[in-house]
Amino acid sequence: MPILKIDGKDIEVPVGTSIIEAAKKAGIEIPHYCYHPGLSVAGNCRMCLVEVEKFPKLQISCYTPVTEGMVVHTQSERVKDAQQAVLEFLLVNHPLDCPVCDQSGECELQNYYMKYGLYDSRLMEDKVKKHKAVSIGPTVMLDGERCVLCSRCVRFCDEVTHTHEMGIVNRGDRAEIEVAPGKEVDNDYSGNVVDICPVGALTDKDFRFKCRVWFLAQTPSVCPGCSRGCNIEIHWNKERPYQTPGERVMRLKPRFNADVNKFWICDEGRYNYHWIDQGRLLKPMQKRRGVPHEVSWEEAFGTLSGLFLRPQEMGVIVSTDMTNGDLAMAQQLFVSELKVKNVAYQWIRKSGKEDELLMKADKTPNTRGAQALGFEDRSGEIYEQIEKGQIKILFLFGHNLMEILGKDQAEKMRSHLETLVILGPHAHEGINLADWALPSAVYAEKNGTFTNFEGRVQKISKAFPPMGMAKSEREILKEMARQAGIHINLTV
Amino acid sequence: MKSYPKILSKNFEVPHAQHIGVYLSGGGYEAARKVYTSWKPEQLIEEVKKSNLRGLGGAGFSTGMKWAFIPKDSTRPHYVVVNADEGEPGTFKDRYILCKDPHALVEGILIACFAVGSHKAFVYIRGEYVEPIRIFREAVREAHEKGFLGKNVFGTGYEVEIVIHQGAGAYICGEETALLESLEGKKGFPRLKPPFPAVKGVFGCPTVINNVETLACLPPIVNLGAEWFAKLGCEKNGGTRLYSVSGHVNRPGLYELPLGTPLREIIEEHAGGVWKGRQLKAVIPGGISASILRSDEVDIKMDFNSLARVGSMLGSAGVVVMDETTCMVTTLLVAARFFAHESCGQCSPCREGTGWVLKMIERIYEGHGRSQDLDNLLDIGKNMMGNTICAFGDAAPTPVISYITKFRAEFEYHVRHGKCDLEDRSQKSE
Amino acid sequence: MQAKFQMSSELKTELDKIVSQYETKQAALLPVLNLAQEKYGSISPEIESWVADYLQLPLMKVREVVSFYTLFHAEQKGKHHFQMCRNMSCMLRGCEEMIEYLKERLKLEDGQTSQDRCFSLSTVECLAACEMAPMMQLNDRYVGPLTKESIDQILKEIEINN
Repeated sequence: MPILKIDGKDIEVPVGTSIIEAAKKAGIEIPHYCYHPGLSVAGNCRMCLVEVEKFPKLQISCYTPVTEGMVVHTQSERVKDAQQAVLEFLLVNHPLDCPVCDQSGECELQNYYMKYGLYDSRLMEDKVKKHKAVSIGPTVMLDGERCVLCSRCVRFCDEVTHTHEMGIVNRGDRAEIEVAPGKEVDNDYSGNVVDICPVGALTDKDFRFKCRVWFLAQTPSVCPGCSRGCNIEIHWNKERPYQTPGERVMRLKPRFNADVNKFWICDEGRYNYHWIDQGRLLKPMQKRRGVPHEVSWEEAFGTLSGLFLRPQEMGVIVSTDMTNGDLAMAQQLFVSELKVKNVAYQWIRKSGKEDELLMKADKTPNTRGAQALGFEDRSGEIYEQIEKGQIKILFLFGHNLMEILGKDQAEKMRSHLETLVILGPHAHEGINLADWALPSAVYAEKNGTFTNFEGRVQKISKAFPPMGMAKSEREILKEMARQAGIHINLTV
Repeated sequence: MKSYPKILSKNFEVPHAQHIGVYLSGGGYEAARKVYTSWKPEQLIEEVKKSNLRGLGGAGFSTGMKWAFIPKDSTRPHYVVVNADEGEPGTFKDRYILCKDPHALVEGILIACFAVGSHKAFVYIRGEYVEPIRIFREAVREAHEKGFLGKNVFGTGYEVEIVIHQGAGAYICGEETALLESLEGKKGFPRLKPPFPAVKGVFGCPTVINNVETLACLPPIVNLGAEWFAKLGCEKNGGTRLYSVSGHVNRPGLYELPLGTPLREIIEEHAGGVWKGRQLKAVIPGGISASILRSDEVDIKMDFNSLARVGSMLGSAGVVVMDETTCMVTTLLVAARFFAHESCGQCSPCREGTGWVLKMIERIYEGHGRSQDLDNLLDIGKNMMGNTICAFGDAAPTPVISYITKFRAEFEYHVRHGKCDLEDRSQKSE
Repeated sequence: MQAKFQMSSELKTELDKIVSQYETKQAALLPVLNLAQEKYGSISPEIESWVADYLQLPLMKVREVVSFYTLFHAEQKGKHHFQMCRNMSCMLRGCEEMIEYLKERLKLEDGQTSQDRCFSLSTVECLAACEMAPMMQLNDRYVGPLTKESIDQILKEIEINN
């Protein structure tokens, strides 16, 4: 492996590595716009110029491979001058409309200007007018004047989705991004073009003007939308909940994972968050004479732990949306401690696409995890036994019987049961069937892991506290067990 | 007037020289026949190296060396691509060859194909050249008919086909990798290098790209020998050159003269001197991309190295002459407008810089210049140079820097007074 | 629904021949567009999408190319298209005066086409015929050096032939 020196540091990298990647490895940032490690090299922005000894001209670090003994300077006067010059060029026709630009705060023109620019403007001329606020797809907006023509979005549509919707038309400083007439950026991964746009040219309709990015907190997580388990970041509004009444999550962004999703997530996953804070079940409810009443957790735990004395009449249906921790708790309590025989997961076919890139047909995040913990998809047998009157108590996790069985069948099933306990985050119509409805936390409200379709165990982190009185399934079960004198300590 | 041998232009005055019969009667296709029937490619490449033939499109790279870069062990087809996208303002030599001696180009292509083991040549001709394309197409048809092209060139079983590819209006396609992109049906965006075309050119295959004039030199080199050709020129610059002379001269036109002919001789003797009895003010020696020379700098030999030494270039040998009445702000406006119009828009410094520079010069031209404008223009020009994918980013600021530096007082007058000092002078003298 | 554009079968045969000369279909894009424009007078959006289908290219790749090259135009030009060079050598030899004169004679501004589609006037960059400066391209033909008299003569000939 070649050893080179960047800013005096010795770095060893594999043959073929570019200077920009070698520098990254050594913790040295080289500013860039067009370069993106997930795309081919375009070399057009000229922001990543560095000085390489023995080369008369500055070299673009994104395209220049390292060689043994190479000596690179990223901080020399020549480099600083070039960076400043390139920024000045990029801003010649830029509208400088940061106060009304949604990218403000995460814009590489702003960031680099503060780091590498800081020149006094000497521009006296009128700027080139280009198309503004153009809807180029169901989720993407284009502002041609803010664009630096880095061509990342074009390359994404050419190289990753192979859908080729975008291009750069005209030439010289009249060049601008365009979408083919009559077409839209409407592929299954459209939102990624916004992520990779280094400036405010492409913005996301779902996020635009909802929240300034500096009010956002970021929490690493895993997309619960399918069994791929794309790594994501949950961006949520930590301070200004009144801006979007009741919704804490502002957007989801992909988080790099070389083995799972690289730099991308699908649109299905990306926009799959509005449900988090909508229609939540906020308090434990008990039905008394057919009417739901709010109860305290203490009351719920006290009464429900009494059911643990009848494990032979009990059925438990967990869900593959649950984390490994929640499932393990259920397994410990119901299988290991109470010896309940009828414990299963129910796999639900949810609508959605499947493809060769990221999207999997299994739209739940943890089927492999449930299987690894010994759960089997035997929910059908449980329903049969309910109908035969062998199971009188059902603990149902997350599922909506109305959806699964249909209204009539669900009500019939209900009538065979003495007690139906439903744990779930949402107050859907199926909840009305329950004798006990216990509010549980959604994935963004808890720590845990999901096991993806390849068996990769991936961590999710708690972004914010559970809404209302909701608790994670794991906590609910643990507390219920404690009330029954059963102490479970999980290390999962 | 000094007279020199006519090598490339020997047929220009011959009636109907574009027809194969006339071309053959002057010994045409003998060089190609000789090469195909009795030479080896290595021998040919050596001969061309020895001739000191340098690329006459503008860059001046050794043709023999360029050929030698084609990998010998490649299993992919090799291509010859002819750059006939003549567009450097002040240059019109390739048009003469295409129109007046098209078979010289066909023969040159045949020789180049043999040298690099190519069976197909693409001739990229600028889209506006409707008439030259028609004439050249006819020449190709005639050569085919005679069996000089096709599946059995000169009965050797060697195949060569020529495909004429018409451009569609883009100066940047004269840049060889932009030309390749354009040939592949894309926008003319110059490619990142390496890989160089010799390794990965058109359709990802080894490709040699030669200018029309360069290729037209090959038949005489083969016929009369590399040493003869080398001696026609000067050190490391073999042969003659077709100098396109235009602007304020009495006889604008194309003059074939040896490499190294003094610029003053070209202007005063061959082109008949500055018109209207006026004084010389400035000369662009090698197309609009070359640094301008003041009248006191024209005692210079017109070869690649001599011009490089004074910070200019021979380039395409397009000599544009300006007399004493020429307003340098106007000339710079014309140059800047051209580069802003033609920048492909790929690299930020060139895309934004060419447009910015044009607007500043327009403002100065219109009488709204500011004191800091000239230094800003020089600095912006400097910032574009050397920082882009292709040489366009070096060419575009060259007029800006050289005109302002060499005619600073005139620009300053324009900035201060909002008009040209020439206008003032002519008014005073009236 | 607009009727889909159909290329004439005669032209299609010609295009097929062009395509067969190239290693890839895409490589035939410029010649195909050139020929289509020659026959139909412009590159309309319908032609763009026909060509995209014909060469099996994404429409955007055709769009990009059409917009990049100056010889392709979406609007029909006049029967007589005057393209006046305004680059260095032509400027030095007085093209501005010729352009002004032609504008006056044709009653057109730069880039305009007369209502009767008889004339179009454009200013263009170097046409590589600087020895005949000031010059222009009139349809396929290079004409120069231009004088007011030669412009008058050309216009007169056009009038006679009409």
